[in-house]
Amino acid sequence: MKRGAWLPALVLVLAGAGATLLAGANPLNAAVELLRGALGGPQPLAETLVQTASLLFPALAVAFALRAGFFNIGADGQAVAGGLAAGLAGAAWPGAGTAALLAALAAGTLAGGAWGALAGALRGRFGGSEVIATLMLNVLAGLLASYLLGGPLRAPGATGPETAALPESAWLPVLLPDSRLTLALPLALALAVALQFVLTRTVYGFELRAAGKAPEVARRAGVDLGSLAFGTLTLSGAIAGLGGATIVTGILHRFDPALSPGYGFIGIAVALVGGLEPLGVVLAAFAFAILQSGSLTMQAFAHVPKDVVALLEGLAILTLASRRALVARAPAR
Amino acid sequence: MNDAVAASASFAGLTAIKAAPLVLAALGGVLCERSGVVNVALEGQLAAGAFAAVAVAGATGNPLLGLVAGAFAGAALGLVLGVAATRFAADQIVAGMGLNVFALGACAFGVALVFGHPGASSEVPALGNAGEAALIVAALAAAAGLHALLYATPLGLRLRACGENPAAVRDAGLDPARLRALACAAGGALAGLGGVFLALAELDLYSDGMTAGRGFIALAAVIFGGWTPLGATAAAVAFGALSALQYLLQRSGIPSELMQALPYLAALAALAGLTGRARAPQADGLPETSRLD
Repeated sequence: MKRGAWLPALVLVLAGAGATLLAGANPLNAAVELLRGALGGPQPLAETLVQTASLLFPALAVAFALRAGFFNIGADGQAVAGGLAAGLAGAAWPGAGTAALLAALAAGTLAGGAWGALAGALRGRFGGSEVIATLMLNVLAGLLASYLLGGPLRAPGATGPETAALPESAWLPVLLPDSRLTLALPLALALAVALQFVLTRTVYGFELRAAGKAPEVARRAGVDLGSLAFGTLTLSGAIAGLGGATIVTGILHRFDPALSPGYGFIGIAVALVGGLEPLGVVLAAFAFAILQSGSLTMQAFAHVPKDVVALLEGLAILTLASRRALVARAPAR
Repeated sequence: MNDAVAASASFAGLTAIKAAPLVLAALGGVLCERSGVVNVALEGQLAAGAFAAVAVAGATGNPLLGLVAGAFAGAALGLVLGVAATRFAADQIVAGMGLNVFALGACAFGVALVFGHPGASSEVPALGNAGEAALIVAALAAAAGLHALLYATPLGLRLRACGENPAAVRDAGLDPARLRALACAAGGALAGLGGVFLALAELDLYSDGMTAGRGFIALAAVIFGGWTPLGATAAAVAFGALSALQYLLQRSGIPSELMQALPYLAALAALAGLTGRARAPQADGLPETSRLD
């Protein structure tokens, strides 16, 4: 834990205890049920790892962009764009075998990147706030998916805005029998390692970090901040889009617009708790996944409404918002 | 002919109902942002206002007490944002997103606790048609009032100065941190009233997700309206009219998603500078200790 992390931790423990007491439950009992639901046995643990992977993609997307001083709060929209493209590509060639899976993952990455690039262009070309842009693009992704799947791209027999079911050959391979744990997790971990490499061992990563720490210095040293904004937000969107594609190919096996229920926002908390370091983000994603996957057991056995988890996640983001914990974000114009 | 009159009357009425919460939240956003604090937490403030209003109206049987509680809940969240942004030097966007997640989680938690069944509250005593009409008038009056406050009073000048050049405010012997916190609390109260309208005027209950992104539409109205009370109000009314049109044009073949998308597209166009030279306050989003030259 970083120095100064004890205060947010204390706030969270007190708030969690207070909320469970308010619900008439024993905080210790609630915590035990939460942990039992998340870690008590191979199946619960596998489900926690599924959540870890789902949180890891958006969290890495947020952390990567934030290292450059850009705030991508549109990971949910990028995951929807990526998931939609993956669902369409994966179902397009039923006889293609594993190629359909690769096509789905590639299409998801590209679509998420395109969705991020829209915000990147707005920031890099026009100097508009990428925060507001990604926020608006979140909603627009959902509306676009709903329009396409309700009209021009409606799947035969579909009752809602969903794509046709993916053929089994386009599913991500399952790692543990009878669980939803798929190749998505190793993929996310490999991505974290790759991002760590890019950040610390490449010229682009150096420029990115320089722009995040001192944009004016980076600009005078010859870094083109406009291109950097475009490239970084595109890459960040691609990471989130790949995440959406893994949810479609690994868990849902078709596109559903609700595939990323707030993971992009929780990803902000995960990225901040992880100190914006890819490997720290991995640990933080596991911690938040415990909260997510244990909450139903806690609700069932300790009678604490599961929404207490969202309450605590919000408090975590709030207490970690201290500027000292963040890189100096370059203000949009 | 009579049909046309009836249709336009119902369109105007529906527009007023759809626009009122957007206007209130957008005015709250304008007040906050003119003082230099970006408010992405309008969604959470709407939800908090709606839930507090329903909880208190249900407990006391008095919707007016619910209204007051809703305004206070919004103000409390606004104050947290303002204090986090100033005394705790928090990143305003991160703090605002945290407040959204917190408020929506806390409201869902509260519904499960207070009403004993998760998802939605029971029906509670609401404000009725007269209360609804009064709140619509109050929303428009608030627009005029905020315009007068910002452009015709010393306090308004100081608040705007906090958003343009907080160092100058400090040099003038005033405390920009305090002014910003005040603006955030007052703006939160306005957004909270927007939530009250949703819960006790348009409906008579709280349900999870009932704000349905209206806080972000209101934020789009703030931007499209050029960060001014009258501009944001006009934008919010236009967005409300779009929302009313969706009901009237349900069977017209025009995709409803297109009309739902227009507010967000308008905000993006404004951000890209395609709608003229409206701009955010210069120190919007920056700490009150920053010096701009």
